[in-house]
Amino acid sequence: MDLKELKALLRLMEGNDVEELEVEEGGRRVRIRRRTAAMPMTAPAVLPAAAGARSATAAAAPVALPAAEGAGLIPVESPMVGTFYRAPAPGAEPYVKEGNLVEKGTVLCIIEAMKLMNEIEAEVRGRIAKILVENAQPVEFGQTLFLLEPA
Amino acid sequence: MFSKILIANRGEIAVRVIRACRELGVRTVAVYSQADADALHVQLADEAVCIGPPPASQSYLQIARIMSAAEITGTEAIHPGYGFLAENAHFAEVCEACGIRFIGPPSQSIQLMGDKAAARRMAATQGVPVLPGSQEPVHDLEEAQRIAEEIGFPLIIKASAGGGGKGMRVVSEPEAIESGLAMAGAEAAAAFGNAAVYLERFLPDPRHVEIQVVLDAGGRGIHLGERDCSIQRRHQKLLEESPSPALTPVLRGAMGEAALRVARAAGYQNAGTVEFLLDGDGHFYFMEMNTRIQVEHPVTEMVTGVDLVKTQIRIAAGEPMQLTQVGVIVQGHSLECRINAEDPDRFLPSPGKLSNVRFPGGPGIRVDSHAYVGYVIPPFYDSLVAKLIAHGHDRGEAIGRMQRALDEAIVEGIQTTIPFHQKILRHPEFLAGRTSTRFVERMLSEH
Repeated sequence: MDLKELKALLRLMEGNDVEELEVEEGGRRVRIRRRTAAMPMTAPAVLPAAAGARSATAAAAPVALPAAEGAGLIPVESPMVGTFYRAPAPGAEPYVKEGNLVEKGTVLCIIEAMKLMNEIEAEVRGRIAKILVENAQPVEFGQTLFLLEPA
Repeated sequence: MFSKILIANRGEIAVRVIRACRELGVRTVAVYSQADADALHVQLADEAVCIGPPPASQSYLQIARIMSAAEITGTEAIHPGYGFLAENAHFAEVCEACGIRFIGPPSQSIQLMGDKAAARRMAATQGVPVLPGSQEPVHDLEEAQRIAEEIGFPLIIKASAGGGGKGMRVVSEPEAIESGLAMAGAEAAAAFGNAAVYLERFLPDPRHVEIQVVLDAGGRGIHLGERDCSIQRRHQKLLEESPSPALTPVLRGAMGEAALRVARAAGYQNAGTVEFLLDGDGHFYFMEMNTRIQVEHPVTEMVTGVDLVKTQIRIAAGEPMQLTQVGVIVQGHSLECRINAEDPDRFLPSPGKLSNVRFPGGPGIRVDSHAYVGYVIPPFYDSLVAKLIAHGHDRGEAIGRMQRALDEAIVEGIQTTIPFHQKILRHPEFLAGRTSTRFVERMLSEH
C-alpha cells in the first residue's frame, strides 16, 4: 500500500463521510480514523506495529513512509508544532514545487507557531519528490512534510 | 463549560482527565512524545498532537510546543495533571497571557507555595504550627548553635535549595552541629550548586498526613479530609489511605481549618493539598502545599464521593462550587497502592512490554491505569503502571478488598511492586494502623 493509495482512501472516506476504515492487504493492516476536518494528521495506526519502527518514525507519518525511505527518499520532518504554509504570504508563489531542485539551506516552507513565522530549510541538496501536507494544514512535531530525492 | 481541553501530561493521569472531560461533554486534545505514540491517552483523546522526541525535556516540558498544539486545535483550557508543568508558575502565566485557561490555581499562588521557606513563613503568620527552625539560612557555626538551642534536639540541617534527601543531616546533640553543617553544606553545594542550609526541628518518626482542599473563584473553600501517606520509601509515597487511623474528629477539624487558612492566605483557587507532619502526641506541623491534583486523589474521591477532577474543571470554567463543608461526608475507608514497574526487592526500574494484563474488579475496587496488553512501558518517564484503589465500609473491609485485588492482579512482562504491597498488607503494624514514615525502612530491615 503506497502513499497514492492511502491518499485515495482518505479522499474516498472524506467524500463518503466515512469516519473509520480498516483495510488488510498482503499481511499488512491499516486502520484510518478521521478526526475533524481541521486535524487530518492524527495518526493512522499501523497494526501490527514493529515497535522499533514506530518509535523511530513520527507517529503521524503515513503508513507507506518506511517503504518510501527504503527507496532512498529523505524525509523532511517538522521540528515544531504549528501551521504549515507553502508560500511566504497568502497569494505569493510557493517556496518550492514537486520536481524542484533545492540546495542545503533552501527555504522549503514556513511553519507558523504562536504568531511567529519559522522558515524551514532543506538539510541536504536534493529534488522535491513529494509534498505531503497541504497549505494551512496543522502539523505536529516529527510530521513528514516533504520527501527529497538526494542529488 | 469549555468546549475543548488539552491535557498537558501523559500516563494514567492523562487518562483520568480525559475521562472527566468525557463525562462533562468536553472534547479532548492529547499531546504526546514519539515514545508515547501508542499510549492509551492518545487513543482515548478526540485529537492528538505529537510534541517532540521521547525525553520529557524535549516534549512534555516544551511549553512553546504545547501552546502551539493548543493554538492549532482551538483549545480553551489546559489541564496540567501532576508533575511536568503542573507546578510551573511560568507555564500558568503563559497560558493566561495566551487567553487559555490554566486548570489550577493562579500563577502567583503557585509561585508563593513553590518557595518552601516562604510558604512556611506565611503559614506561621496565619497561626498554623510550623516546625521550629531558622527562618533564613544560617551563616556560621555560632548562629547555628544559638538557633539550635532555641529549636531543641534532635534537629535536621537541610539544604535551602534542594530536597530529595540530599544535603540533609540529622544532629542529636550540640557537639555534632559543626560537622553536620560542614557535611550538609558540602553535599548541598555538590547537588544543587548552593551550599546554603537551614535548621529545623526533627521529628524522629512522624506520620505524613495531608489535607485536600478545594476553593473556587468566589471565595468558597472546603476541605475534604485527610490522606495518610506515611508509607513511603525514599520520600516516594507507595500506599495512601483515608481516613488516617491517627486522626480524631477534633484533630481533623483543626487540621482542615488550618489548611484552608494557609490556602486562602496564598490566594488559592481550585484543588490543592496541604501537607503536615503529625507527631505521636497529636501535634501537627505545616510542611508544604502542593498546588496541583495529586497522584493519590482517588482515595479522597472514594470516601467522599466527590469527583475531584471534574470539580477542578468546573471551577476553572467559572462555575461556583456546589460543595459545602457540611455536605462533605467521609464514608467508609479507602486505600491506594501505587503499582510501579520496578523489581519488588531492589526497586530498580523495569520498563518493557506488558505481555499480560488482568486488573482486579468486583465490589469496592477501582483501577486507574494506562496499561494494556502489548503496551510497552517506555524508560523515559516515571514507573507508575497502575493505581489499585480499594474502598470498604471500614478499614478492615478495605484491607480485605485490597488484599484480594493484589492477589487477583496480573501484570506480566515486567517486574512490579505488587509483591511488596502484598507484604505491607500482611504486616501487623500496618494492620494495626500504627504506621509512620519510617515503617517501610523498618519492614525492609526485618529480613
